[in-house]
Amino acid sequence: MSAAAMLETRGLCMSFGALEVARDLNFRLLRGARHALIGPNGAGKTTFVNLLTGLLAPSRGSVLLEGEDVTSLPQAKRVRRGIARTFQINQLFRGLTVLENVCIAVSERLGVGGAMLRAAGRRSDVLGEAMRLIDMLKLGADAGRRVVELPYGRQRLVEMAIALGLAPRVLLLDEPAAGIPSAESHIFLDAIAGLPGEIAVLIIEHDMDLVFRFASRITVMVSGAVFAEGTPAEIAANREVRAVYLGSVLDA
Amino acid sequence: MDLIGILLGGCAAGMVLFIVSVGLSVTMGLMGFVNLAHGGFAMLGGYAIVLSMRHWGLGFIAALALGFVVVAALSVVLERTLYARLYRASELDQVLFTIGLVFVMTAAVTLAFGPETRRVILPAWLDGQMDLGFIRYRTYSVAVIVAGTALVLALWLGFERTRYGARIRAAVDNRRMAQSLGVDVGRLFTVTFALGSGLAAIGGGLGAEILGLDPQYPLRYLAYFLIVVAVGGLGRVTGVFVAALLIGVLDFVLKIYFPKGGTLFIYALTLALLLWRPQGLFGRRAA
Amino acid sequence: MSLGQAAVQRLAGRHRLRWWEALPWLAAIAAFFAFPNHLAFGTQLLVTILFALSLDLVLGYAGIITLGHAAFFGAGAYTVGMLAQHAGWTEPLSGLVAAAAVAGAIGLASGYVLLRTHGLALLMLTLCTMALLEEAANMASAFTGGFDGMPGLRFAPLLGAFAFDPLYFRSQYVYALVVLLACFVLVRMLVHSSFGQSLTGIRENTLRMHAVGAPVRARLVTAYTISAALAGVAGALFTQTTAFVNLSVLGLDRAAGVLIVLILGGYGRLYGAFVGAIVYLLLEHLLAQAYPTAWQLGIGLVLIVVALYARNGILGIADAMRSRGGRAG
Repeated sequence: MSAAAMLETRGLCMSFGALEVARDLNFRLLRGARHALIGPNGAGKTTFVNLLTGLLAPSRGSVLLEGEDVTSLPQAKRVRRGIARTFQINQLFRGLTVLENVCIAVSERLGVGGAMLRAAGRRSDVLGEAMRLIDMLKLGADAGRRVVELPYGRQRLVEMAIALGLAPRVLLLDEPAAGIPSAESHIFLDAIAGLPGEIAVLIIEHDMDLVFRFASRITVMVSGAVFAEGTPAEIAANREVRAVYLGSVLDA
Repeated sequence: MDLIGILLGGCAAGMVLFIVSVGLSVTMGLMGFVNLAHGGFAMLGGYAIVLSMRHWGLGFIAALALGFVVVAALSVVLERTLYARLYRASELDQVLFTIGLVFVMTAAVTLAFGPETRRVILPAWLDGQMDLGFIRYRTYSVAVIVAGTALVLALWLGFERTRYGARIRAAVDNRRMAQSLGVDVGRLFTVTFALGSGLAAIGGGLGAEILGLDPQYPLRYLAYFLIVVAVGGLGRVTGVFVAALLIGVLDFVLKIYFPKGGTLFIYALTLALLLWRPQGLFGRRAA
Repeated sequence: MSLGQAAVQRLAGRHRLRWWEALPWLAAIAAFFAFPNHLAFGTQLLVTILFALSLDLVLGYAGIITLGHAAFFGAGAYTVGMLAQHAGWTEPLSGLVAAAAVAGAIGLASGYVLLRTHGLALLMLTLCTMALLEEAANMASAFTGGFDGMPGLRFAPLLGAFAFDPLYFRSQYVYALVVLLACFVLVRMLVHSSFGQSLTGIRENTLRMHAVGAPVRARLVTAYTISAALAGVAGALFTQTTAFVNLSVLGLDRAAGVLIVLILGGYGRLYGAFVGAIVYLLLEHLLAQAYPTAWQLGIGLVLIVVALYARNGILGIADAMRSRGGRAG
C-alpha cells in the first residue's frame, strides 16, 4: 500500500550562481508524517524549506501539494493551501503583543484578515482561537506583552503559535527548538503530539535526542542532495551517515 | 543653435550633475543611506569657492581645492556625530533627518550670505570661447566636460585598480561579507562620504555658471540628483556617468525645443525606467 | 483574572471610544464660538488635519514612505476647481465625491504599479508621480490656470441653504468640521479592523505577512487607494473653502509640509495628525511670515532632533513621560 504523499518534490534544482544548493531533490512527505531532515551546516536544508514554501523559486523541478503542482505559486498562496512554516530566525511582529501576533495569523486563516468593518477586537472567534494556541504553548502569562520584551526562547514559541494558528495540513519547522531552554523544549513537542494525525510535519533539527524522540522517518541531506533516507533505526545504523555527519552526534 | 552646440551644452550640464551626484550614488550604494542633503554639500562648496575667489582673491583651482577640503572636513564631522547614529534607523528617519539638514543648510546660507544668486568670476584662461575645429564653443563648458571625463576615468581607475576601490566595491555588493573579510566598513564609509561630499563641493562651484548657485540650490535640484542616482544604479560610477549625461542632454535639448513639456518628459521617462528596472540601468538586483 | 484573560480584554476593548476622544471635537466646536474672527485659519487647520490623517493611514499604519502624497491632494483640489470653473458644477458635496473618485482612481492606478517596488525606488517613484502631475497641471494651463491658478471660484450654497462666506468663513468651518468628522470615523474604523491590523503587520514584518498567507500587495494597494481618496477630499475642501486653487496644491512643499505635520504629532496613532497640525500651523502662522528664514532653520532643527531622538513625535514623548511617571509613582 502506498501512502498518499502530502508534499512532494520532483527533480528540484536550485543554484546561486555557480553554487548548487539543491540537486535533483526527489522527496516525499507523507500524510501524517513525522519526518526529520538532518545534515551538516550548509547542506541546504533551510534552502529546501524555502523552495517548498515558495520563498525561493527553483531553477528546475516541481513542488506538489497533494498531487497539485504549486511550483509557480507565491508564498502567500501556498500558505492558503495549507503549508505553514517556522523560520530559523524568528520572523515575528516584534512591536506587537503575543496575542496580536497570533491573532494576525488566525485572522488570515479564517479569511477575515482583510475585513474592514468590524473591529478586530470584536472577533471573539479569532481571539478565542488565538488564546487556545497561546495556552497550549504555555505562553498565557505573556499574552499581553510585546514580543520584543520576551526572552528568545519564548519568542520561539510564539513563532510556533503563529504556524499552528494557520491550521496547516503541512507543517515545516526550521530548527524549532534552537534557543529554547531544554527544560521547556517538551512544550512544543507536546504541541506537535497534540496535532491531528493527518497533518504532515517536517522538522529540521540538530538536536539528535529530539529527532529520535519525534521522527518516524529521517532524511539526511548533504551538499544539497539527499544522502540517505529511512527509519531512525536504519539511519542510526548507517555507517556512511555517521561518517559524514560527525558520528559522535548520532552516538549522543 | 546647431545640434553640436546643443549636445555640448547638454554634456556640460550632465558633467556637473555627474560630479555632484557620483558621491551620492556611492554612499547610498555603500551604506544604503538615503542622503537627501547631498545637494547641500554641493551648495556649501559652491559658496566657499565663489566667496573665497571674490573676497580672498584665490585663484580658480586653489578655490576648488579649498572648497573640497572645507566641505569634506565638514562632512566628516557631520557623519561621525549625526549620520552614523541613523545607519540602522528606518528609512523614514533618514529621510526626515536629511530633509531637516537641508533646511538648516539653506536657512544658514540665506542668513549668512543673503538669498541672491552668486556668480563665479571666471579666470581669464577659462573665459571666452575656444576653437575646437568643428565649432567655436564656450571655453568654460569645454573645460567642464574635460574635467568630468577626467574624473570618471580617475574614479574608474581608482575603483578597479586600487585596493581601496576594491574594498568599496566589495562592501557595496555585500556589506556583511566584506565585514567578515576584515574590511572596516565604518571607516571606509567615512572616507568615502568625505570624498563624495568634497566632489559635490567641486561640482557646486564648477557648475555655478551652469546650474546656478543660490540657497535654494539643494531643494531645487534634489529631484535631479535622485533621478540620476536611481536611474544609474546605486554605487555604480559608470551608471551615474551615463545617467547624468542622459539627463543633462535630454533636459538641455527639451528646454530648447519643448520648453513646456520637457521636465514632464524626464519624470515620465524616469517613472517608466524605474518600473521596468527598479535597480536602475546598471544597478544590481537586490538579492 | 489571569494575565492571559487580561490581555484578551485589553485587545477586545481597544476600539471602544474613550472619553477624551470627544475633546478634540468639543474644542473645535468651542473654537467656532470663541474665535469668530479666525475661522479662516481654523478651516485650513481642519483641512490639514484631514490631509495628515490620510497620510497616516499609508505611512503610519502601512509603512509606505511617500514624498508624493500631495499628488492626491492636488488631484482633488483641481477636480473641484475645474468642475466649478469649466463645467458649472458648483454643488459642494457632490464635488467632494467627484474629487474622492478622481484622486482614488489615480491612487489605485499608481499604487498598483508603484507598490511593486520598495525603498529608494518607491520613494523616487512617488516623487516622480507627483512631479508629473505638477508639470501636467502647469502645461494644461488652459484648464488649470497654470501658475496663476484659478482664483475667485464660486460654489453653490451647502444643502441649498448655507452659502460660503468669504469674509468670516462660518459655513466653511462647519462644513470642513463635519467632513473631517465623517472621514475620521471611517479611518478610525479601518485602523481598528482586521484590515488595519494586517497593515500594521505588513509594516512590522512584511516577510511574515507573506508567510501567514496575507495578500500583501492587495492590502497595500487598497490602503493606498483609500488614503488617496481621503487626500483628494482634503484637497477639494481646500479649494471649496478658499475659492482658489493653484500649483501650490501639488509639489514638494505641500508634500513635505504634511509629512512634517504628521511626524511632529506622531505617526501611526490617529490623533498625531491633530496634534501635529495644530502645533505646526499655529507656529507657522505666528512665525513664518515674520521670519521666513529663521522659520526654515527652526523646522530643519526640529526635524533633525525628531529623527534622532523623538521619532514618535509629540504624542510619543507624552506616552514616554506618562509611562515613566507611572513607574516612578
